[in-house]
Amino acid sequence: MMDSKSTLTTSFMLKLKHAPTHISFWIQCSFVVIFALMLIGPITNLLLWTVAETWYFPHALPSQWGFKYWQQVFNPYSDVSGSLLTSLLIAILTVCVCLLVSIPAGYALSKRSMPFRVFWMILFLIPQAFPNLTVYMNIARLFYEFNLNGTLLGVVMVHSVHGLMFSIWICVAAFSATDPMLENASRNLGAGPLYTFFHIVLPQAAPGIIASCIFVFLESLDEFTGTFFVGAPDISTLPLLLYTASMEGNYQIASITALILLVPSILFMLIINKFMKPEMLSKLGK
Amino acid sequence: MTRLHIENLQAKYGEKLILNNINLSVEEGEMIALLGPSGCGKTTLLNALCGFVPISQGDIFSGDRVITHLPAEKRNITMVFQSYALWPHMTVAENIGYGLKVRKVKRAEIQSRVNELLRIVKLDNLQDEKVTALSGGQRQRVALARALAIRPDVLVLDEPLSNLDAKVRLNVRHEIKALQKQLGFTSLIVTHDQEEALVMADKIAVLHKGEIVQVGTPEEIYNKPNSPFVADFMGAENRIEWPTEKDGFSDSSHKITLHQSSNNEPSNQPKQVYFRSENVILSTRQTNSKIQKEEGLILTGHIEQSAFFGSNYRISVRCGMHIIQVDHTSDLPMNTPVSLQVPNHALYIYDNIVENKVHQKSTVV
Repeated sequence: MMDSKSTLTTSFMLKLKHAPTHISFWIQCSFVVIFALMLIGPITNLLLWTVAETWYFPHALPSQWGFKYWQQVFNPYSDVSGSLLTSLLIAILTVCVCLLVSIPAGYALSKRSMPFRVFWMILFLIPQAFPNLTVYMNIARLFYEFNLNGTLLGVVMVHSVHGLMFSIWICVAAFSATDPMLENASRNLGAGPLYTFFHIVLPQAAPGIIASCIFVFLESLDEFTGTFFVGAPDISTLPLLLYTASMEGNYQIASITALILLVPSILFMLIINKFMKPEMLSKLGK
Repeated sequence: MTRLHIENLQAKYGEKLILNNINLSVEEGEMIALLGPSGCGKTTLLNALCGFVPISQGDIFSGDRVITHLPAEKRNITMVFQSYALWPHMTVAENIGYGLKVRKVKRAEIQSRVNELLRIVKLDNLQDEKVTALSGGQRQRVALARALAIRPDVLVLDEPLSNLDAKVRLNVRHEIKALQKQLGFTSLIVTHDQEEALVMADKIAVLHKGEIVQVGTPEEIYNKPNSPFVADFMGAENRIEWPTEKDGFSDSSHKITLHQSSNNEPSNQPKQVYFRSENVILSTRQTNSKIQKEEGLILTGHIEQSAFFGSNYRISVRCGMHIIQVDHTSDLPMNTPVSLQVPNHALYIYDNIVENKVHQKSTVV
């Protein structure tokens, strides 16, 4: 008697224990599905457009499928491959400029003894504080006077102003996260300040610096407004091409370009995920 | 030969004086311990020697060379850091060979020196290990080997044992001492542990509030502390102010008498008396015969507490206002009346400073 009662209670307890897990499991599942639809829905449309050769309005699906436009895009003489190369070149140059500025600046700003430390940090945020359009229009006006409009240099400069915010702030955090004792130990063993910086400090901060490079690279690749005002029509990057293509109603080209732009973003996000350390994030802006 | 000589050294953090009037000489092959409570400036002194803390006054000589204002990399004084400060992106061998690589020593030579050091610190076969994979004791040895690799003029160790657990600490302590004897390097070691200083050092410099209060061999420091602070820090924790009327010794059951052999000075001059718990001879009233001569400090009181310390019992005896700590071989019940005797040679007596002069006049007995 006692036995059966106890088993009953235990089975009841087990049910009680499992019931909420079932409910929360289904809630979780539905959330995941909803989020997936929200994220993937628009992309599906985009994917469909990349393989549609003809698709007229009332139809739910394209009437003719094919890779015709892919061939057009990857034709070495097409606008797309030219823009892709320009985009990559600009992105790489921007990364170089940002690195050249933000490595020394980041190291200097990571030292508490630096005068006006907060002021310098804020200075790199200021361009972001104003509406983009205003800033870029004024830059374009300025660049006209120096004949920088429509040049690669001008576009790289505009992208760098934008990228420096990321690279400086992330580099300061990366350098702040390094242990000053490690520097002392190196000086102690006879290494000068420069040798110490390149052999001890830089390797310690490298993951953060790489992460900042990736941010800058992606930002430069996606940048539209600044390029539009300063570079167009002489300089054509992928986002500019995407813009003209969709304005002309050429959705296939636009979708394929968008897809190309998506690839580095996803790749690098995975890498950043690996390099960004929680300790470093905690030093951000300190 | 004097390897390192510090003269009138002064260091400040902003306006705050951290080190003042430091004078110290370290002979070739000698190991000196800088001993003091935390915050006394001993680590700052090491940092000043290594060039990490600017010096506001005074001079440092390494041999005949003035190194006072040289940058850290030109001093040839290496440090074993408290946190080890090993470089996590390098292997054990790379860490140890770093100083030689900086000096552009040939690769083969670095390799052989690294191997030699690995053998000395007993870390053979670990050269390709990442330092993050090592245990605390092993990291400590890598740090030591790294500092020794460039054959520094002076090796300084900043509380090298404080991050190790008790058992490893004893081992490493002996190893460092043995290495120092074997290789004969000149070294300074910072510690707050008096036992560590006594065991390891050839000489001890006791620091207090940024100044060196006493320098001497471990025996001198232990047996002849020159000030109340040193006596207290070296374990003479029992302290009595003399004369003691106000402390309630008028109570008939608690008495205190001080018999001194050197009789020139009047015994009522105000002074402070320090002694160690291990030097107190405790006798219960029944076995009073133990006190044979009327010599040294004699106190009577009763037992207030007893604690087991492993090799002996630490007994707290209340004598008037004072609680005297006594080491005794057996446990005794509370409130047992006892008499205590401290022989003259174990008493550290210091004259009180000026402020008590007035007091002395008003309370002449």
